[in-house]
Amino acid sequence: MTGWISLCRSIAKAGLSAGAVLLATWLTLHAQQGTIDRSGAPAALAAWDHIAGVLQHPRCLNCHQENVPLQGDMRRVHIPLVVRGPDNHGVGAMRCGNCHNGSGNNETSGTPGAGGPGLWQLAPSSMLWQGLSSGDLCRMLKDTARNGGRDGAKLIEHMESEPLVLWGWNPGGDRTPVPMPHDEFVNEVKTWVAGGMTCPS
Amino acid sequence: MVSLNVNGRIVDLDVNPRMPLLWALRDFVGLTGTKFGCGRALCGACTVHIDGQAARACSIMVGDAVGKTITTIEAVSGPVADAVRAAWQKLDVVQCGYCQSGQIMSAITLLTGNRKPNDEDIDLGMEGNICRCGTYQRIRAAIHEAASTLG
Repeated sequence: MTGWISLCRSIAKAGLSAGAVLLATWLTLHAQQGTIDRSGAPAALAAWDHIAGVLQHPRCLNCHQENVPLQGDMRRVHIPLVVRGPDNHGVGAMRCGNCHNGSGNNETSGTPGAGGPGLWQLAPSSMLWQGLSSGDLCRMLKDTARNGGRDGAKLIEHMESEPLVLWGWNPGGDRTPVPMPHDEFVNEVKTWVAGGMTCPS
Repeated sequence: MVSLNVNGRIVDLDVNPRMPLLWALRDFVGLTGTKFGCGRALCGACTVHIDGQAARACSIMVGDAVGKTITTIEAVSGPVADAVRAAWQKLDVVQCGYCQSGQIMSAITLLTGNRKPNDEDIDLGMEGNICRCGTYQRIRAAIHEAASTLG
């Protein structure tokens, strides 16, 4: 705004034609500043900001927990209490699949489910996202020693088609879906990968 | 038409595949030993076995149970079931009894996977089965009793 005021004063002082040249120059510069570079590390960093916002949404973060999943947008401990167990699927008579359907959300009981039998589980212990800074989350996500051996292409595929990931956009009940449209999210992941999976320091 | 394997027999039901399994078992197959408690997978009263695993019949859709073996309290059998049943009777676990069908089904699953559960194993493994009468101490004791019987 300050720029506009001083520009208008300049136009008044210098006359219309000189002012018009000045205005055109200012608009060109302003437009260049506003253009997002869609390649390389800067683009990857910009994309990562959006990706981190999705990964830190309750629909994702609630199951990327150490031992007990959380529930709801308020992110309280899962009721009834369930724990990870040796295979990330619970223990004893409290296994994830005992309630969570293989073919989707159960509208009657409100119990969520993702397509495919036996998929519902806590994220592996190498993928605990709770409390991480954006940079640490980024480094964890791309670390093949911790992310299930996924390179960039595999990460894109995971975010594009993994049923548990897709569930975040179709959570059923009164759960808030991930706010960013899924195709936009996938595009951000592709930009991040193309830009070298750059992470904030 | 949906075809289910319930207690060793095939039943053909004209129901919506997204109907809760509990509705089908109670209202269409006529097996009322499995109880309706909360309908939200929070209380465990509706616990049955699907392929030997304790499952909440109120929250599993009929379509997801197709091709699997469903066992209810009316037909559960075998050494673990026998040991649990005997322990329940010996320690007189039941008070009002409404939750006990689910408690027993969960206890059988727990003991099938872990023949020597400690108190923590029992608490975590039975967490989803609520008893309004508060028979938890007797349930825990009966599971230990059944475990010792099984050896």
